[in-house]
Amino acid sequence: MNKALRNPLVFILFVIPALTLFFVFFIYPIFSSIYYSFTSWNGVSDTVKYTGLDNFKKALGDDRFWVSVKNNGWFILFSVFIQVPLIVFFSLLIANVKKLKGLYKTAVFMPSIMSTAVIGILWGFIYEPNIGLFNKLLGLFGVEPIYWLSDERFAMLSILITNAWQWTGFYIVMVLAAILSIPSELDEAAAIDGATGFQRATRITLPLIVPIISVVIMLSIAGAMKAADIVIVMTKGGPAGSTEVMATYMIKYAITNFKYGYGNTIAVLIFVFTLVVTALYQLLFNRRSERIEY
Amino acid sequence: MRKSITMLLSLMFVTSALLTACGNNNNAGNNGEAAATNSGTAATNAPATEEPVNTEPFEMTIRHTQVGADKQKRLAILEDVVGKVQEEVPGLTFKLDGVDSDVNRKEKLRGEMAAGNPPEIFDLFGSPDSKIYAKEGKLLDLTPILEELGIKDKFSNLDPFTYEGKIYGLPIGGSGEGFFYNKEYYASKGWKAPTTFAELEQQLADIKADGKVPMAGASKAGWVPLMLANHLWSRYAGPDVTAKFATGEAKWNDPNVVKGFAKYKEWVDKGYFKKGELGFEYAEYTTQFTSGEAILMYDGTWKSSVFKAGQSGEGLIGKVGFFNIPAVEGGVGDQTALMRDVNNGYGFSASAGEDERQLAAVKSFIKNMYNEEMQLRGLVEDGVLPAMKIDQAVLNKNITDDLMSEIVAVLNSSESSFPAFDSLVQADVTTEISNIQIQKLIGGQTTPEKMGEALQKVQEEANAAVE
Repeated sequence: MNKALRNPLVFILFVIPALTLFFVFFIYPIFSSIYYSFTSWNGVSDTVKYTGLDNFKKALGDDRFWVSVKNNGWFILFSVFIQVPLIVFFSLLIANVKKLKGLYKTAVFMPSIMSTAVIGILWGFIYEPNIGLFNKLLGLFGVEPIYWLSDERFAMLSILITNAWQWTGFYIVMVLAAILSIPSELDEAAAIDGATGFQRATRITLPLIVPIISVVIMLSIAGAMKAADIVIVMTKGGPAGSTEVMATYMIKYAITNFKYGYGNTIAVLIFVFTLVVTALYQLLFNRRSERIEY
Repeated sequence: MRKSITMLLSLMFVTSALLTACGNNNNAGNNGEAAATNSGTAATNAPATEEPVNTEPFEMTIRHTQVGADKQKRLAILEDVVGKVQEEVPGLTFKLDGVDSDVNRKEKLRGEMAAGNPPEIFDLFGSPDSKIYAKEGKLLDLTPILEELGIKDKFSNLDPFTYEGKIYGLPIGGSGEGFFYNKEYYASKGWKAPTTFAELEQQLADIKADGKVPMAGASKAGWVPLMLANHLWSRYAGPDVTAKFATGEAKWNDPNVVKGFAKYKEWVDKGYFKKGELGFEYAEYTTQFTSGEAILMYDGTWKSSVFKAGQSGEGLIGKVGFFNIPAVEGGVGDQTALMRDVNNGYGFSASAGEDERQLAAVKSFIKNMYNEEMQLRGLVEDGVLPAMKIDQAVLNKNITDDLMSEIVAVLNSSESSFPAFDSLVQADVTTEISNIQIQKLIGGQTTPEKMGEALQKVQEEANAAVE
């Protein structure tokens, strides 16, 4: 079979179906999007007018678009600097419990299998100003009700917390798998040498799971760049556009306003920004992580 | 040897796949030919004057927006029409596709129009949407159908669905906007519906002082607060002002328009709406009123359906009244003017006109949906005002509940009306005011003056973009 696959004709025959699918569902839409990003088109008309770089100039000078870019930035920062450390912390905790490990794994994984719509509604109750859990708890300390989703100072934070809650469990299971795959002899040897639990976690376990943490960060960044559903369900991008992200901006201002050409420009910019951010991360951090061999 | 076998197998695989595909096509072709032959034979055998009836099953989709508990009665009306059409058109099965109104209008239908695959029948917003689709040939011209059915002149207003003299959609009903108020509370205070603006404002202040929420508020979707804001700026600047924005004859930063924004802002600042309203959905708006938390609710007449048996406002049957915004001091134009619309209805895909059987289904749908019986059912069961001309005596006979009588009296007492802003200005301006400016005003991030300036800027860009 291996010899057969070295025959170019056979190789091509086997590759064609996959290539066709890849072209139809990935390459063609990307090039189509790039083409329309240079046009003024309402999405309905047969007439498509070429406008050169006009849409790009407009987007780059559009304050609302930059607010959405900034909000995607908040998603990335929150994921990398708050969510990932928590993921590692909880993974270490769960890895070291002796009983009911399965229960903890299931419990933390549960939010990941729930739909975003359900999670948005569920957290909507938690954030409810009058009867919501958060304000009830704050009320015990005499804190005035906070309008989590309707006050622009808190709306973005509320979404970030909910989004983190949804995906933390998914990543914990990944990190946990990496921790549990570390040979127990390493830990035991360190324990015999007198290393404390904290020392073993920071000097042995953590360095050994750096590759998986790197993957988690990578996935978090990619997820942050395409965030949209949670925003739509929880705030619809409001109040006053303060929680708009690039994807919701594209839907709201391009499709709703019959500006498909401009919408495609935003789509291309999302693609470019994602490419740049992930490439930067790969260059600056991911290349440093070495292959771990036991 | 192994290489040859693999090659042979690969070729056999590809060849068989191709032959299978061709076989299918051939079969389809043969079937088609057979069907044509059969129909030809049938046609030959049939009496020369009668066309053979094609009873082969076919499916059409109806996109409707009758979703949620409060729209069950409207859905029942649609289902009855669907049943009748299916009986009349042999082989037809309708697939009902229920989608939230805002999602259908602003996202789903627009995407389908762009892709060229809208449902055959769909919920359609009149102006400006239907005109954009009509211009691009996406909608079925209904003019000949209406003439054939003899109902072309039976509608009170088809302007929102008319483009270059042709009709591309039919309004399902009309609506007017005003204040629903809790009569029980008003009676307990010895009040009546206000007749002057000062009286209205005094009542709002008193309700607030009483520890109640004067007006329901839920502004997560900008169109909800804009119903009242629209009426206010039309009181201060005149009922026809909004229609002049797109032509450049009037400006959003006109001092009188700004007065309307300022009044809304003043009411927000005085705490007349429920706190945290920017985070509440429209459903919550109704709940604030039906639960007795809010005493007034500015909404469309369609909301009267909630105060019927089995609906969420059942507890308030007989306890709800309706009034128009009283005249404002120094206001421009007719101060009885009411915001009224016939902008929601059904449209039909242009592709339905290319298929004889689909066209027959469309005609049957229009015939069964747009008649006096259904319009009256809409009014009586669902609180939707008729879009067709109906004799006043017939209307009076059919209106049996107090709230609807009160609504009709308010509508009759207004001397003129004006449509809502979103049917008069471009989509960009609607998005700007709905998603940004009104929420900024409520949230205290802008002033009425700055709001007017910002809107005028977007308006001018939109006006300049008109080809």
